[in-house]
Amino acid sequence: MSRQSNRATDSKKMNSELFTLTYGALVTQLCKDYENDEEVNKQLDKIKFTSHVVLHRFFQEGCAAGKITNKMGYNIGVRLIEDFLARSSVGRCHDFRETADVIAKVAFKMYLGITPSVTNWSPAGDEFSLILESNPLVDFVELPDNHSNLVYSSLLCGVLRGALEMVQMAVDVRFAQDTLRGDSVTEIRMKFIKRIEENLPAGDE
Amino acid sequence: MLISFHYTVHTSLDVVEEKISGVGKALADQRELYLGLLYPTEDYKVYGYMTNSKVKFVIVVDSSNTSLRDNEIRSMFRKLHNSFTDVMCNPFYNPGDPIQSKAFDSIVSTMMVQAF
Repeated sequence: MSRQSNRATDSKKMNSELFTLTYGALVTQLCKDYENDEEVNKQLDKIKFTSHVVLHRFFQEGCAAGKITNKMGYNIGVRLIEDFLARSSVGRCHDFRETADVIAKVAFKMYLGITPSVTNWSPAGDEFSLILESNPLVDFVELPDNHSNLVYSSLLCGVLRGALEMVQMAVDVRFAQDTLRGDSVTEIRMKFIKRIEENLPAGDE
Repeated sequence: MLISFHYTVHTSLDVVEEKISGVGKALADQRELYLGLLYPTEDYKVYGYMTNSKVKFVIVVDSSNTSLRDNEIRSMFRKLHNSFTDVMCNPFYNPGDPIQSKAFDSIVSTMMVQAF
């Protein structure tokens, strides 16, 4: 079908619309199912992670659907990293700056067809921003007033967190700006927490 | 004032039904979405458009506005149809609800301002 924004009809773009609609259906269903935050918090507390120190911050903010999609994203990320490493053949990154470039130029391009820019490096070099001019997840989406605090694309944060954890990096990923909430761009802030030692058993607190 | 518009649009739905049923089964596949001028009243001209999913768009134009050409109305309907499709794709929108999308409202407002 023809649209305002002139979508190309090649197969990659068609898959993208289906993904966008699927993700939208998922988020709205979660919102309906989990109207009550307290109940969800109890459920989420039972879930164990290796780098739980990073995750407490997530559970303190955002509504239930955001937390759940973040967790889902995490599960996607820990698996997606293998696919990414196999398809992209990038070597081990030597520092966080290299990691940032690979994420923006290779990973985002490969999976979402967009190339965010890497900016706002902190003086210590452990924190940066990814600026997304467009976010395929939120095509056609308008947040209703009762969900104005929803971190809709929280899946992306989870994916990045999960994927980097599998390459021994604990990171904190959050949205600093979101076009859905009226900002002009979408900005994802990524902060390096620590390198994960290999001898930590996975899955235990 | 608003009530009379609601009334005009409501009666135009009957005309839409007439137009659709008058086409006949053989031509049903080729039915155009744009239905053209539905009926003129003394104050207004009413144009119709129906999608294949039976969603109807109705545009009411002041009779004194004679400068609007047929192809301009057609392009207005096309824009309406595209905006409506975007509204439908919003996962938070339930089909059948009144449309509250700001994007849709702004496109419609711009279109109305441009036309008159």
